[in-house]
Amino acid sequence: MAEKVTFKVFRFNPEKDKKPYYQDFEVEIRKPGMMVLDGLNQIRWEMDGTLAFRRSCREGVCGSDGLNINGVNMLSCITHISDLKPPIVIQPLPSLPVVKDLVVDLTDFMNKFFLVKPYLITYSPPPDKERLQTPEERKKLDGLYECILCACCSTSCPSYWADPEYLGPSALLNSARFILDSRDEGADERFEIINDRHGVWRCHTILNCIEACPKLLNPTEAIGELKKILIKKKF
Amino acid sequence: MKVFQPQKRYRLHPGYIAWILHRVTGVLLGLYLFLHIWVIHYLAQGEQAFNKVMGIVQSPLFLVLEVGLLGTVVYHGINGLRVILVDYGNMAKREIFRKAVYVTFALSAAIIIAGGIPMLMHAFSH
Repeated sequence: MAEKVTFKVFRFNPEKDKKPYYQDFEVEIRKPGMMVLDGLNQIRWEMDGTLAFRRSCREGVCGSDGLNINGVNMLSCITHISDLKPPIVIQPLPSLPVVKDLVVDLTDFMNKFFLVKPYLITYSPPPDKERLQTPEERKKLDGLYECILCACCSTSCPSYWADPEYLGPSALLNSARFILDSRDEGADERFEIINDRHGVWRCHTILNCIEACPKLLNPTEAIGELKKILIKKKF
Repeated sequence: MKVFQPQKRYRLHPGYIAWILHRVTGVLLGLYLFLHIWVIHYLAQGEQAFNKVMGIVQSPLFLVLEVGLLGTVVYHGINGLRVILVDYGNMAKREIFRKAVYVTFALSAAIIIAGGIPMLMHAFSH
């Protein structure tokens, strides 16, 4: 008999259910090192084909499967079942509207990402070849460019839960990625957006985003860098 | 589409606890300010009135509550310094952000115990 682990999964079908409920599934551990996503796949493929959840690359690169597992936001594809205390409670990312089961509506999250202009802005004429930067300047972008937009950080943030207009750690980290880029010339227009009570100043350094980020980035530190630049500009 | 309250609450990471305590102590300090102004305003009504109200706030009950005031002020102050260093220092670094919270808790506890013991001894010596 293979070992079994209980998955307590959040279920909600807007066409049938008025209220969400939690359904228990017994997931069989068939090989060592099984991930939570392997368990969810087992449920969908063998037990209940109606369970809805997002996943794509199953290796922590696409950022599709951000979930709240045992009360913490993480990617199900890179989280070992053996590292979690059973029963494993699986909920959709907090504070986002639920489409079905574990699938949440990311429209607002993505709109906030586009608000901070997450692309290179330049006004100087382009050089003959590519725009160059020194290895030191490039190093400043480490820990910023790796964001996969899984929404784990933003939806772990109590400020983000409470303030529907707050840009959130993810959007702010992505604005820092371009503001701190030596090739970019759009810092001022981005600061206009993020220098706001719903921008960087809504960060109360609760640090949940650092705990949640599956790519081990540091949104709080990035927001701190932006606050430092804004303070220096003022004085 | 609706947002649902999760059944299992978000895990209370150390930084999250530190923030909740910071909020609670902040509100308490705000309320204390009103109490303080209310006591001080008796100064305007002459010596007798002020001595009377000072008699109340120096009763053993208030002296014990004062330990709570010490705790509120000490925690809010030390955690406030940590928050400033998270934003404008380097305390948000992945290697130290959790340790900084534990140091805040430990330092606050040490000061509250060191200050609270003589305060309680004074309160119960009456």
